[in-house]
Amino acid sequence: MIVKRANPQPGLWNKLQMAWVRLHQRWPNLAASLPFVPLVFSWWLTAWLEVFPRAFFPGPGDVVLSMISLIYKGILPEYLLDSVTRLIVGASTGVAIAIPLGVLIGMSRRANTVLWPPLLFFQAVGDIAWLPILLIWFGFGLTTMTFVIVYTVLFPVVLNTVLGIRSINPDLLRAARSLGASQARMIWEVVLPGALPNIMTGLRNGLGYGWRALIAAEIIVGTSGIGFLMFDARRAGSVVEIMLGMIVLGLLWYVVDAWILAPIERATGERWGMVTR
Amino acid sequence: MKSLTLNQLSKTYFDPYKGTQVTALEDVTLSIAPGEFVSVVGPSGCGKTTLLNVIAGFLPESGGSVRVDRRPISGPGPDRGVVFQSFALFPWKTVLDNVGFGPKMRGVGREARDAIAMEYLQLAGLAHAADRYPAELSGGMQQRVGVVRALANEPDVLLMDEPFASVDAQTRLTLQEELIRIWLDRQTTVLFITHDVPEAVFLANRVVVLSKGRVMDEIAVDLQHPRKWDDLIENDSFKSLSARVLQRVRAA
Amino acid sequence: MVSSGNNAGLSAHNSQLMAARVRSAVWFLIPLALLVVIWAGVVSLFEVNPRIFPSVTSVWQAGLESVFDGTLVRHIGASLWRIAVGTTIGLAIGIPLGIAMGVVPAVASFFSPLVRFFSVLAGIAWIPIATLWFGYGFGAITFVIFNAVFFVVAYNALLGVSSIPMQVRNAAASLGAGRMAMIFEVLLPGALPNIVTGIRTGMGFAWRGLIAAEMIATDLGLGYMLFTARDFYKTEVIVLGMVVIGLLWLALDRLLLAPLERVTTERWGMVRS
Repeated sequence: MIVKRANPQPGLWNKLQMAWVRLHQRWPNLAASLPFVPLVFSWWLTAWLEVFPRAFFPGPGDVVLSMISLIYKGILPEYLLDSVTRLIVGASTGVAIAIPLGVLIGMSRRANTVLWPPLLFFQAVGDIAWLPILLIWFGFGLTTMTFVIVYTVLFPVVLNTVLGIRSINPDLLRAARSLGASQARMIWEVVLPGALPNIMTGLRNGLGYGWRALIAAEIIVGTSGIGFLMFDARRAGSVVEIMLGMIVLGLLWYVVDAWILAPIERATGERWGMVTR
Repeated sequence: MKSLTLNQLSKTYFDPYKGTQVTALEDVTLSIAPGEFVSVVGPSGCGKTTLLNVIAGFLPESGGSVRVDRRPISGPGPDRGVVFQSFALFPWKTVLDNVGFGPKMRGVGREARDAIAMEYLQLAGLAHAADRYPAELSGGMQQRVGVVRALANEPDVLLMDEPFASVDAQTRLTLQEELIRIWLDRQTTVLFITHDVPEAVFLANRVVVLSKGRVMDEIAVDLQHPRKWDDLIENDSFKSLSARVLQRVRAA
Repeated sequence: MVSSGNNAGLSAHNSQLMAARVRSAVWFLIPLALLVVIWAGVVSLFEVNPRIFPSVTSVWQAGLESVFDGTLVRHIGASLWRIAVGTTIGLAIGIPLGIAMGVVPAVASFFSPLVRFFSVLAGIAWIPIATLWFGYGFGAITFVIFNAVFFVVAYNALLGVSSIPMQVRNAAASLGAGRMAMIFEVLLPGALPNIVTGIRTGMGFAWRGLIAAEMIATDLGLGYMLFTARDFYKTEVIVLGMVVIGLLWLALDRLLLAPLERVTTERWGMVRS
C-alpha cells in the first residue's frame, strides 16, 4: 500500500503563506493596503482601455497629476486645512454639548422622559434638512457649517453616552455611594469612566457622520474645503478633481479612523477589560 | 450500523507562523466494530480533535484511509453524524427545525420530518421545547438537541467531539447516562473524543489513548451495562481501569 | 406541533401588549406636543418675524394647502420612489456580493478593508460625480441612494457571514447540506442580523443623501421643496418640510427597520459583531 507523504520542504505556496504572515505581523498597515492594489490596477486598466470616455472616467495617473498641480498651487493644502479645521471645531463643540446632555439623560429618569422623544425626532430630521433655514439665518458661512457639524455629531455621542451609562453595573454606583461619594464626584469618578468605552464608540461614529455632514455642507453651501472643491469641479465639468477630492476624503477618514480613533477605542475598552474582542 | 476503519491515517499541515510542517496524526490504525462505543483520550494537543475532523471530512487526510464499512469517505456527509463541543445549533431555527435539518436536506417533506424530529426529541426528553429557539435553552438542553439532531439523520457512525466539556459538572453526569441509554437503544457506532478519563471509561467498550498523533494504547472496558454513576463511582473495576488509563495518558 | 398556551390566554396577552404599546406611544408624543406649545408661545410672545421663524398656524396652513393642491404628495412620492428604487437595487446586488465575499475567510479578510473604505465614502460624497455621469434628476439621485445602501450592506453582509462559527457551517455540511441549502439555510440567516443593521445604517445614509441631492440636482422632491422655499423666505414651507422629513424617517426607522432588527437579533439571541 502506498502511503502519501507530505513534502517536508516548504513549497512555493507555503513560502507565500509565510511571507504573508510575516508581512501582516511586521507591517500590518502595508498588509491592509494590499487589497487596494488590484482595485487601483483595474481602475487603471478600465481608464486605459477607455471603456468609458476619458473625460468621464480618468485614470489614476490623471488624478495624481491633478493632485500635484493643486498642491503646487496651494489650493489642496488650503482646502484640506479648512475642512479639517471646521470638523475639529464643530466636533469639539458637539462633543462638549453632547456628553453632559447624555449624562443628564442617562442619570435622570425625568430628563429622559422629557428629552428622549425630541432627541429622536430631531435626529430623524437630520442635519441636511436644516440647511435652508440656516442659510436664511446665518447665510453662506462658517456658522452655518459649524451648526450642521455640531448637530450631526451630537446624536451619536448622546445616544452612546446614554447607552454607556445604562450599561454600568449598578453595584458600582451603589459602592461609590456607600463609600461617601457625592453626586458630582460619582459622575466624574464612576459614571464617566464606566461609560467611556461607549462614549468612544459614539465619538468615532459621530466623527464619521460629522465628516460626511461637513462634505455635504461644503458641497451645497461652502466657499472652500474639499466638498467645495468637488462641487466647483463639477461646475467646471472636471471629473479628475472630483475623483481626487473623493480619494482624499476616503484616505483621510480611513487614516484617522484606523490609526487614531480605533486604537483609542480599543485602548480604553480593552485595557479596562470592559469590551470583549 | 456500520464499522469505522482507520488505516495508517496521517495528517500533516504547514504552519506559516513556524515555517515548518506539523504532524498532527501519524500512522493511526483503528478498527471500530458496528455498534461499538470507542473513547479516545489523550493530553492536550495529542491530535484527537484533528482525528475527529479528518474522520468527519472537515479536513482532508494526508495519508492512509478512513473507511465506513469498507467504503472510503469523501468530505462531510450524513453517514457520519457529528456532535460539537460548542453545540453548533442553528440559532435562527427552532429546536424542532434544528433536529429536522438532516431529513430536510434529504428531501423529506415538512410533516414527515416534523414527526421524525418529535420522535427524537421525545427520546431526549425535550418534546416540550420543540418550538423554542436554542438561545432560550440551557447548555445541557442544547447539547441534548445537538445529539438527537445528529441521530435524527440515522448516521452510520456518530462522532462526538468533547461534547460535554462546555456543560456544568452535574449536567454532564446526567447527559452521560442519557447517552448510554440512547446508545443501548439505537446500537449506534460511536467515536467519542474527550480529555476526561473517567468519562471515557464510563461510556466506552474500549478506550484508545492518543499521544503526539499516535495511538499509544487500547484498553478494553468490560463493565456491565446499564452503567450508572451511583453504582460505578465505588466500583473497584471502574476505579482501577480509570487509574490505568490515567497513568497511560499522563505518561504519554 | 406543540402550541403554547390556550387561545384565551394568548389574546389577553396580545391586548396587554397593545395597551403597553399605545401607552409608550402616548408618552412619546407628549414631550413633542409640549415642544409645539412652547414653539407657539415663543413665536407669539416675542413677535418673531415670520421671515425668521414661522408660527405654528402658518405651518399648519401651509401643510393643508400643499396637501390639498397635491404638491406635498407629489414631492413625498418622488422622494419615496427614489429611495425605494435605489434601496432595492442596492440590496439586490449588495447582499449576494457581500455573502459571496464572506464565505471564504481568506477572501473576506482580504476584501474587507476595501469594502469598508467605500462604505465610509458612501452617499453624499458621490453627488458631484453622479450628476456629472448621469446628469441632473432621477438617475443621479437614485445612484447616490443605491451607492449609500450598496456598500454598507455589502460590508455588513461580509462581516455577518464571516462571523458565523465554523462549527455551525461544519454541522450543516455533516448533516448533508449542499451549496444551495448552505446559502439559504445557514449563511443568509446567520448573516441576517448584520445585514439588517447594514440596511438600517445604509438607509440612514441614503435618506440624508436623498435630501442633499434633491437640494441641488432636481426639481421635484422634499429636498427641492425645502431649498426653493428659501429663495422666497417661505419659512413655513421650510419648517413644514423639516417636520415631514422627520416624521417620515421616524416612521420608516421605528416602525419598519428597528422592529426588524429587534426580531432577528433578540429572538435568535445572536450577537452582532
